[in-house]
Amino acid sequence: MVRVGIPRALSYYQYYPGWKAFFEALGAETVVSPPTDKAIFTAGNSRAVAETCLPVKLFFGHVISLADKCDYMFIPAMRSLGKKAYYCSKFIGLPDMTRALVPECPLILDPEIDLNKGRRSLYHAIYSLGRHFGSDKSKIKKAVEQAEKTHLAYRKEMSDRGITPIQALDEMHRDEDKSYLEPDISPGLSVAVIGHQYVIYDDYINHRLISRLQAMGVRVFTPEMAEQESLDIAMTRLGGAPHWSFEADIIGAGEHYLEVKVDGIISVAVFGCGPDSMMVDMVRHRASEFRTPFLHLSLDEHTSEGGLLTRLEAFLDMVKRRRKVCA
Amino acid sequence: MRIGIPHCGHAYIIAEALVQKLGNGESELIIPPPTSHRTLDLGVKYSPVEACLPFKLTLGNLLEACELGADTLIHARGTGVCRLGYYVKEQEQIIRDLGYNAHFLTLDVSQHRFRSIMRLIKNLTNDAPWPKIISALRFALEKLFALDKMEKVVHKVRAVELEKGRANQIYREAVKAMGEAKTVREVKNATKEYIKKLDQVPKDPTADPVKVSIVGEVFVVLDPFANMDIEMELGKLGVEVERTMSLSRWVKYRLFLNYLGVNEWKEVHEAAMPYLKRNVGGDGWESVGEKVVRGREGYDGVIHLAPFTCMPEIVAQNIMPSTKEDIPVLTVLYDEQMARPGMITRLEAFVDLLKFRRRRRRK
Repeated sequence: MVRVGIPRALSYYQYYPGWKAFFEALGAETVVSPPTDKAIFTAGNSRAVAETCLPVKLFFGHVISLADKCDYMFIPAMRSLGKKAYYCSKFIGLPDMTRALVPECPLILDPEIDLNKGRRSLYHAIYSLGRHFGSDKSKIKKAVEQAEKTHLAYRKEMSDRGITPIQALDEMHRDEDKSYLEPDISPGLSVAVIGHQYVIYDDYINHRLISRLQAMGVRVFTPEMAEQESLDIAMTRLGGAPHWSFEADIIGAGEHYLEVKVDGIISVAVFGCGPDSMMVDMVRHRASEFRTPFLHLSLDEHTSEGGLLTRLEAFLDMVKRRRKVCA
Repeated sequence: MRIGIPHCGHAYIIAEALVQKLGNGESELIIPPPTSHRTLDLGVKYSPVEACLPFKLTLGNLLEACELGADTLIHARGTGVCRLGYYVKEQEQIIRDLGYNAHFLTLDVSQHRFRSIMRLIKNLTNDAPWPKIISALRFALEKLFALDKMEKVVHKVRAVELEKGRANQIYREAVKAMGEAKTVREVKNATKEYIKKLDQVPKDPTADPVKVSIVGEVFVVLDPFANMDIEMELGKLGVEVERTMSLSRWVKYRLFLNYLGVNEWKEVHEAAMPYLKRNVGGDGWESVGEKVVRGREGYDGVIHLAPFTCMPEIVAQNIMPSTKEDIPVLTVLYDEQMARPGMITRLEAFVDLLKFRRRRRRK
């Protein structure tokens, strides 16, 4: 069976179930790299130039760890997922950067996803991608339908049950004891964590932020726990037409959770992120209008766990005291 | 209406010339003072920490224009991958929060460029007649082209002049004369006069300067304050600078010839193809392509300029070392923390390397 490698980084958290369904319907097998660890970090860090942001460096690390385990590497060039809404340059340049920095990488499948050009160009890109696995047009069409269905189900599952992608993906992977996945509805503090999926769900980057918060008795909300539609509405209300395809996850989620009155907002971004440098400020501004506590964590390769913990504790103490005073 | 604009190199000359010809007494153009450390401090103080240098500098310019009473601010807007698309949204908020009552007019620099600039001019001049606008535009562009033409000569003269600093002095006088010129004829005469003066500067006949090409993100490449006069510093080191990107080229192709199907970057994009297959926004694709082209043309080196955290240029920076065309590249990243002596030291080391390589190659 043909093996397609999918690095556990960047778009993985959003689209893996859909991709998996697509490749499996075409008779291929998907191979995912292990969760980020020190070896992956070191490997990726040694290849890219220093200014590259941490998630992209980790991406190269994941590619390196997969290089000898698959026949193809799937790295879509994501340009746009909506009218006049774009991805960051690094997503578009990802296949070419990988080719330059990881020469041992197997053949890269790099369809260009550009919905700004309309659906036709998307169909064309997917069809040329499917042709690597056989020339049966109807089979490719079926695979696309399967992928779409799986993706929507995955998205709905997360918003319906209020679980993170990690939990949803875990469930897909194995059928063990699921009791730990039941959402915690204790009446503690509610805090929204906003940011890119590849930052808030990669435990190596954020030092297990979400599980730490949960262990402190905090009810955590992430962008996926809201319906896509309400995120889009919130985003348009605050920022107008989006300029970036992932604006809904930051501006939209920020505005949405401010509106439903969570006790605090934690925004997590990596140092050097271009889009975040602008978007986070908008949410911060909005949070001050709502008088909701707001904490911005800027993470990089050197963030120390202790420092992060101290800031989290201080923030939660403040939120708690505020709630007492306001109640 | 009091119109404020941000700076980018000598772009203000266009605005000034247009107003000279189209001014009707109702509106006034406020050109903020030349970008200075105060501008930078202002910009840094009120910008998000991780915003890029062009954002901070243009914000500083606009704030200085507001201090002088501007109520209408003009800024570039882009629909594309780079952060530029977000500038206006964010700066509008910052300026409003500071209590200035100013509104933004935007100039689309990525799509519908021609339509956007025409609409802006019509708008600001209270619907001036087309013939008047066209003759004013012609006058403004004449100035711009003259300046860029002189700059090209200056780049060559700086590297070989006997008395260092002479070419710069003449160029400064030329810019001043350009600002004062009232008609197309005066512009043409001044250009001829100053180019002749530059030709007469005593030069070292034995000089064999190393040739370096400057590529990178458009704002830091074009704005001497942002790039800390890198071209002048290279001239002092006896380096001949070549730069493809210029304002006049942008205007010539982006505003006019692109619509006729001429792509000024065709050769460069084709050269980049084996290494970077698609446009990554900003000027990243062009940076990779130009490195390849310059390598083939036998240049001694490439200097790649970008603001710190610039997304498209980071892609370019990651890809550049892997090209087959082997030519040294020095990437200089600019932010508000950067100091000029640090840059000069790096330039000196780079130029030494280029000279060494050249000697070895000739042996």
